[in-house]
Amino acid sequence: MDASPQLAVTLDEHALVRGLWRGIDVFRCLALVYAAWSVWHRHDEVAQLTGAIVILAVLAAWTVVQTVRPARTIPMYAAELAIGCAAILATRLVDHEWVITGGAKTVPSIWPSAAVVGFAVLLGWRGGLVAASLVGLCSFIEVQEPTGNTVTNSILVFLVGGCIGYCVDLARASHAALARSMRLDAARAERDRLARTVHDGVLQTLAFIHRRASELGGEATRLGVMAAEQERILRALVSATDLAAVDRPADDGPTDLRSLLGHVEDARVQVVAPGQPVLVERSAAVELVAAIEAALDNVRRHAGPDARAWVLLDDDGSNVNVTIRDSGHGLPAGRLERAAAEGRLGVSTSIVGRLADLGGAASVQSGPSGGTTVRLTLPRHAKEHR
Amino acid sequence: MTPDDDRRPRADEHRHADPALREDASGRPPQPVTVVVADDHPMWRDAVARDLTDAGFEVVATAEDGRSAVARTRATRPDVLVLDLELPGLRGPEVCAALTAAEVPTRVLILSASGEHADVLEAVKAGALGYLVKSARREEFLDAVRATSAGEPVFTPGLAGLVLGEFRRVKATSQQEATERPIPELTDRETEILTYVATGMGYKEIAAALFLSHRTVQNHVQNILGKLQMHNRVELVRFALERGIDPATHEPRGAAEPR
Repeated sequence: MDASPQLAVTLDEHALVRGLWRGIDVFRCLALVYAAWSVWHRHDEVAQLTGAIVILAVLAAWTVVQTVRPARTIPMYAAELAIGCAAILATRLVDHEWVITGGAKTVPSIWPSAAVVGFAVLLGWRGGLVAASLVGLCSFIEVQEPTGNTVTNSILVFLVGGCIGYCVDLARASHAALARSMRLDAARAERDRLARTVHDGVLQTLAFIHRRASELGGEATRLGVMAAEQERILRALVSATDLAAVDRPADDGPTDLRSLLGHVEDARVQVVAPGQPVLVERSAAVELVAAIEAALDNVRRHAGPDARAWVLLDDDGSNVNVTIRDSGHGLPAGRLERAAAEGRLGVSTSIVGRLADLGGAASVQSGPSGGTTVRLTLPRHAKEHR
Repeated sequence: MTPDDDRRPRADEHRHADPALREDASGRPPQPVTVVVADDHPMWRDAVARDLTDAGFEVVATAEDGRSAVARTRATRPDVLVLDLELPGLRGPEVCAALTAAEVPTRVLILSASGEHADVLEAVKAGALGYLVKSARREEFLDAVRATSAGEPVFTPGLAGLVLGEFRRVKATSQQEATERPIPELTDRETEILTYVATGMGYKEIAAALFLSHRTVQNHVQNILGKLQMHNRVELVRFALERGIDPATHEPRGAAEPR
């Protein structure tokens, strides 16, 4: 049995586990009383009554120690198991051969079961079974010719060790799950609070800087582009509503794209999505969301005050398609090229560049009925698809 | 979601010469469109019924819970059932399922207080023809009832997105596990139209963009719904039997024609 000290530290985490420990403490005392009563009951059969009393005294001393100052550590329970096994084996020294083969109880009787249960609580079902097999082994050595009682008792000890260990494993797992979900709830509440503050203050300020800077032109344009980029990053950061993201590195695992787009919706922008999650690798999802935000920023700036926009997420199995359509003025021919030539890089870097980096494609066109339609296509790679 | 954004159909898209009157090819005088209103909120129910009556519709019954909505619709067989999604007893999708399973020819228009969600999709899969948010204006609502009575699907962009997603999901699951039932698939044209509806375009705009007639676009949308609902018919009948709703009322559809 590998006695790792860390295991002992993480023990008292669950009400069920704490209850089991108290139960073991009580059981140990009762088992001691029962063992003493058994020896007294058959005292005229016992060959070395003094020896039996010494054994009982050792058990009693240990019981007192573990009752007064209980220590739920692997070394302590290893010691208790050793005492229990030694007491079983020592029965051989204090009893007549004919009494033992006649199926009499050992001196410690059921007292070693406390150590078995203790190991089950400490180390789960495996610990319980190992401790039970040690106790069983000792009782077989002690009787030498196994009686019916020996077999039955060993099976019972096995059952107790295995079952209680299994229950403890389950309790620990469910406790861990509960703790995790509470942590996620707390994280989400905190992030919502942060998101509100940041959204109302910092993001709006950055957006304003961006807007004013592009109006001023010249040197300020660069500042504006930087502000816009920071705004997008910050927005993606505070709007990550994917719960599981709390517990894993930021660039890992598939993420539901829908949960990353809650913040882009407002009175003029509607996100249209399927009923089931649109799963994309997290790093790709963040980039895709940034591209969508860039497209919506363009709508806000160029499509006119009454324009509305729709963001459609469509996962056709081989591609994730995002369509951003607005009901605004539409694009005059050649405007994108002029914008790029003038150093206004919004559409080409923020949208086309991002999608190209992801191995996808983006197109910006005049919509079928006026307005502008931006189409983003992100191919699903084999590793993302599972 | 922002329910106010989902105002569809647009007021200009479902204009008829005499909106609340049903056209009758046989030359008899036109009959008013009959409506049953099911909503558990009494004030809302009365307001809807009054609006409909003022606009020339005939409200033949109202219902305050799911079971009576099914019973009264089966008894009166109106042209349109205006159905709240959250009803006590049977929920909106279950009411639709019960009516479809019982082959009641009434067309169902879903009214929902909240934005799009899974329940709307369930209701549409169970046979509802249209969906409107409760925050829609009065004229939009009346237009939607007219469109529904004429058999025209009333779609919001959000619902179109859900329907598109449902077709994708059915296709993806059918690839994973080989099912014997035929899988409904959208044609390219239908996918295109659904995508347009999902990005906020009205039927008129779609028709202009694709050089189709308004009617053709409507037919496409209707076919899309039909495929979705056909796929569910077996489940609907099973559902109705489980709930003790007798689907075996095989009245000919003509029974609901003008009395």
